[in-house]
Amino acid sequence: MKLDTSGFETSMPVIGFGSNSEMLDGVSSVPSFDLPRTTDFDGFQKKSVEMVKPAKGTTTLAFIFKEGVMVAADSRASMGGYISSQSVKKIIEINPYMLGTMAGGAADCQFWHRNLGIKCRLHELANKRRISVSGASKLLANMLYSYRGMGLSVGTMIAGWDETGPGLYYVDNEGGRLKGDRFSVGSGSPYAYGVLDSGYKFDMSIEEASELARRSIYHATFRDGASGGVASVYHVGPQGWTKLSGDDVGELHYHYYPVAPATAEHVMEEAA
Amino acid sequence: MSIFEYNGSAVVAMVGKNCFAIASDRRLGVQLQTIATDFQRISKIHDHLFIGLSGLATDVQTLYQRLVFRHKLYQLREERDMKPETFASLVSAILYEKRFGPYLCQPVIAGLGDDNKPFICTMDSIGAKELAKDFVVSGTASESLYGACEAMFKPDMEAEELFETISQALLSSVDRDCLSGWGGHVYVVTPDEIKEKILKGRMD
Repeated sequence: MKLDTSGFETSMPVIGFGSNSEMLDGVSSVPSFDLPRTTDFDGFQKKSVEMVKPAKGTTTLAFIFKEGVMVAADSRASMGGYISSQSVKKIIEINPYMLGTMAGGAADCQFWHRNLGIKCRLHELANKRRISVSGASKLLANMLYSYRGMGLSVGTMIAGWDETGPGLYYVDNEGGRLKGDRFSVGSGSPYAYGVLDSGYKFDMSIEEASELARRSIYHATFRDGASGGVASVYHVGPQGWTKLSGDDVGELHYHYYPVAPATAEHVMEEAA
Repeated sequence: MSIFEYNGSAVVAMVGKNCFAIASDRRLGVQLQTIATDFQRISKIHDHLFIGLSGLATDVQTLYQRLVFRHKLYQLREERDMKPETFASLVSAILYEKRFGPYLCQPVIAGLGDDNKPFICTMDSIGAKELAKDFVVSGTASESLYGACEAMFKPDMEAEELFETISQALLSSVDRDCLSGWGGHVYVVTPDEIKEKILKGRMD
């Protein structure tokens, strides 16, 4: 895949960038980038990135354990303070044995995951075998890298089962790609990590792992304002993925912490 | 997010037949993180006068303490409780004193005046009074609250029905707001008694 090197070529000479323009004489011998004309270069860069970067208001998590990969997410979409939806599907089914999670811009995640699904299918047809999780995540990461700096907002985890066993990769809009055992992405991720890390064991059964995932999402929705709705839990095993549960977190709260009936201070007795 | 949305809040007051109800959410947050789920936003000034304050939590607490102080002085001097209309003017004056460095809160005042006639009003952060005959709202969920109250309100409701209406309006509105909710606190006040209830809401 040809790396996009257009950033290294400048059509105009570098002006006022620490060297004399007469000496360069219109010919730049050092590779350089087009720079914005501003006095506060660092601040300007930061401000423009912050302006286009929508906050990743969500909680998603995934972890590898003995029986495969457990993937869970909330279902709230927020626009600033307003809740635009409580029923967004944040776990995207790329193909019957691979799942992607959505954090960041909804349109970006939906489009690029579908695009990834197309590329995976083309790979299958061209090579007569399924693509590995490593390969699929690499395809996505390379696609996102070429759009780096253009304001895409994608923080996704690719979870699947291939010939080497369970696979989990984190891929984001900066072009980063990390292989790992446990990830949580989104504004609610610190809260989810707290519960997930303290309860995690590699040797868990599917029920224990799904309960851990559900509980982590629930705790994140409790503390984080931008997460809520329904906690969905999926499991990826050797036969592909299955949806295990989708519980409303409003009800989960009272399931985990039932309201104790208030003790009456004075009880009226029946007159004998 | 603006400074009014730093802590998150929702307050609503409604008028019924010789009674009123005032309700608020219970969340205290720091932007998106929830810190507490039992924050008191509505406070009693006297048995027939309540004030609910939305906005920056520190100003909510300070302003409440100042208003209680002023009302206690009034009680000592006048040997009676303040009428709701008078109290509203007092709050408005206190807020305007800080015109160029305001308290960052929006009060909702609800009380029973002469002949037990219910009185409600709201103000912006520099004291502009807005009297209403039916309901007043404030907080980060105010737009949703306006919609819900407009749809659910009927004039001359009795205390029981008023409680149901205000609770439903509050819960459905905060369910559309990331920054408020996590339970509800409702006071229904009639000439004879004050009923205080905590609502079981979505905790997300």
